[in-house]
Amino acid sequence: MLLQVLLTGVLIGSVYSLVAVGLTLVWGLMDIINFAHGEFLMISMYTTFWLYALLKFDPLVSLPIAVGVVALVGVLTYKLVVKRVANAPGLMALLATFGLSLFIRNLAQFLWSPNYRFVSESLLTDKRFIIGDLIIGLPQLVAAVGSFAMTLIIALLIKKTKTGRAIQATAQSKDIAELMGVNTERIYAITFAISGACVGVAGALLANTFPVYPESGAMYGLLAFVIVALGGFGNIWGAFYAGILIGLAETLGGFYLGTQFKYAIAFLIYLLVLQFRPKGLFGW
Amino acid sequence: MKRVMLLLLLAVFLVSTVMAGEVPVIKIGAIFPLTGPAAATGYKLKYAVEVAQEIINGTYPEIGLELAQAAGLPNLGGAKVEFVFADHQANPEIAMSEAERLIRNEGVVALIGCYHSSATKPASQIAEKYGIPFVAGSSSSAALTERNLKWFTRIAPHDGMETVFFFDYLNYLNEKFDAGIHRIAVVYVDNEYGVHAAQMVKEKIKNYEEYGFKLVADVKYPTSATNVDIEVQKIKAAKPDAIFHASYIGDMTMFVKKYKEFNVVPKAVLSYCGGYQDPQFVINLGKDADYFSGPAATTPALFEKMPILAKINDIYKVKAEVDIDGPTLEDFASAMVIAEAINLAGSTDPEKILSVLKDHEFAAPYFVSGKIKFGPDGQNIYSASVMTQILDGVYEAVWPETYQTKEPVPYFPAWKDR
Repeated sequence: MLLQVLLTGVLIGSVYSLVAVGLTLVWGLMDIINFAHGEFLMISMYTTFWLYALLKFDPLVSLPIAVGVVALVGVLTYKLVVKRVANAPGLMALLATFGLSLFIRNLAQFLWSPNYRFVSESLLTDKRFIIGDLIIGLPQLVAAVGSFAMTLIIALLIKKTKTGRAIQATAQSKDIAELMGVNTERIYAITFAISGACVGVAGALLANTFPVYPESGAMYGLLAFVIVALGGFGNIWGAFYAGILIGLAETLGGFYLGTQFKYAIAFLIYLLVLQFRPKGLFGW
Repeated sequence: MKRVMLLLLLAVFLVSTVMAGEVPVIKIGAIFPLTGPAAATGYKLKYAVEVAQEIINGTYPEIGLELAQAAGLPNLGGAKVEFVFADHQANPEIAMSEAERLIRNEGVVALIGCYHSSATKPASQIAEKYGIPFVAGSSSSAALTERNLKWFTRIAPHDGMETVFFFDYLNYLNEKFDAGIHRIAVVYVDNEYGVHAAQMVKEKIKNYEEYGFKLVADVKYPTSATNVDIEVQKIKAAKPDAIFHASYIGDMTMFVKKYKEFNVVPKAVLSYCGGYQDPQFVINLGKDADYFSGPAATTPALFEKMPILAKINDIYKVKAEVDIDGPTLEDFASAMVIAEAINLAGSTDPEKILSVLKDHEFAAPYFVSGKIKFGPDGQNIYSASVMTQILDGVYEAVWPETYQTKEPVPYFPAWKDR
């Protein structure tokens, strides 16, 4: 049973990671708190759902489209909302994205009603591996593999590419990066697009198992904030490991102490880490 | 200038003529979760109350209800009833502030709602403070009628009554079908509704220990859970024969999906008034929704036997695009009852309305019980449900045998054989 609990924790945690990796880019690297991050996830899930419902696209086929849609939403968020308050005190961007999150959530409810919707049939639905007593759901396994792959791609992109280095430079000092010829406007927009792409992948993979409704991104968004702080702001692999840690804390704590405490335990770990390592477990 | 004066005089004349012919409007507050996690259900409740408003304010002789025979409230000169809706977002604090706003700013004479027991509790405290009647429809926590409130009444059976109903039904399955159901798990959402349902299970099971029932798992989960994997693993480890669920539509659907994934095959799953009763449950899950059970004030399978209910459903279905379900019918009833009480009181004086609510027996031909009467604690003493089970995608009435539309299936077939 312990093995099953551990495995479930890793699988759940890896999805949390993927949502958090997108957030750590804009929050950790760019120092902009995007409160609408959970709603980006919801947009991706709805994109996947509607492509399935209207055009019978499998979520795996819809994935690149969902990535594109949410990346575009990310760019638009930057251009239309964040950029306009970029030079105002930090709290303004936070309030602006908070307003945006409420707007997106209510718009979704207005357009698509608050009903819970499901992708009832897909390539992954109801498929699972059974190894002895161990049950591994294929949708969760694919989500975990997708999460790891996406984290790896983002980490390589930031470390190895010219754009990635420009993102790091902009994060360290916007003014100096501009003096060095970096188009920081473009870099901010790209960062928002990459962040959106991450949740785009997460949303398309989650739509296989999770109900799609206007609030479906809210709790994931909240956990992503905890994971980013826990993993160290801007640390991509830190967010990945912290996501798995939160997943494990949730399942182990939930199973052995009581399921009602599963989020409380995750938040307690976060508070303890903040006391002893304010920059997060993997922060620098 | 003269022309302007003439126009003004004409306008004043027109307004006063319209005012003189205007039928008075009586406002009643209706607080439901119209946004937030239970908004899907909240909208169905709103549609049901709108249907009640149409029936009261219009003329529907084919529906054999007293207030359907003439437009408006006959004892108040044909006054129209207007339900003023407010959204509590599944948040008890908002329910409280909305109740206050409706009473103070909108001038409502009574309140109905709020679906979530956790929201009904504070909202009804506000009604108590201002001394106006509160008629709850589908909120099922027994705690609501244990507070000795003067102004509170409730239509739905409470979770204490439902728990007894569950055990009696399981006894019936054991006796008639030799179902061998003894190990019980209770799974519930961490709020007023879920926690109180679980308390009732722990309390009532003591009276059924002689029949071999014992509680083997107590699984509480957070209100906005992102997943229920670990909860289902805990349930599986306890190997229950029957699971009692106090869950809303979103979480209930996630549980069923996980039961399937982790191959949890109990003999019965019985759900308190909540997600199971929402027709969306079958739409979401298809054949995986089969064999789940729960009490309900109604089911479409009963429409054939109850023509008035069928007619009400015809009006409701145009708005909601689904058949009326148990909780929705209970909130419809709350709207009809408060309007009838105002009509019988012949006034909007709260004391007079309350006196009717406490003394009168209301006809309710849309319920299997056929009537509503509130006891001294405000609980409807005729609260009657049928046990339903989803068979081939239809909510069939399976117990008591008098209302049976199909025999119950006292076991869950393997998931792969569905």
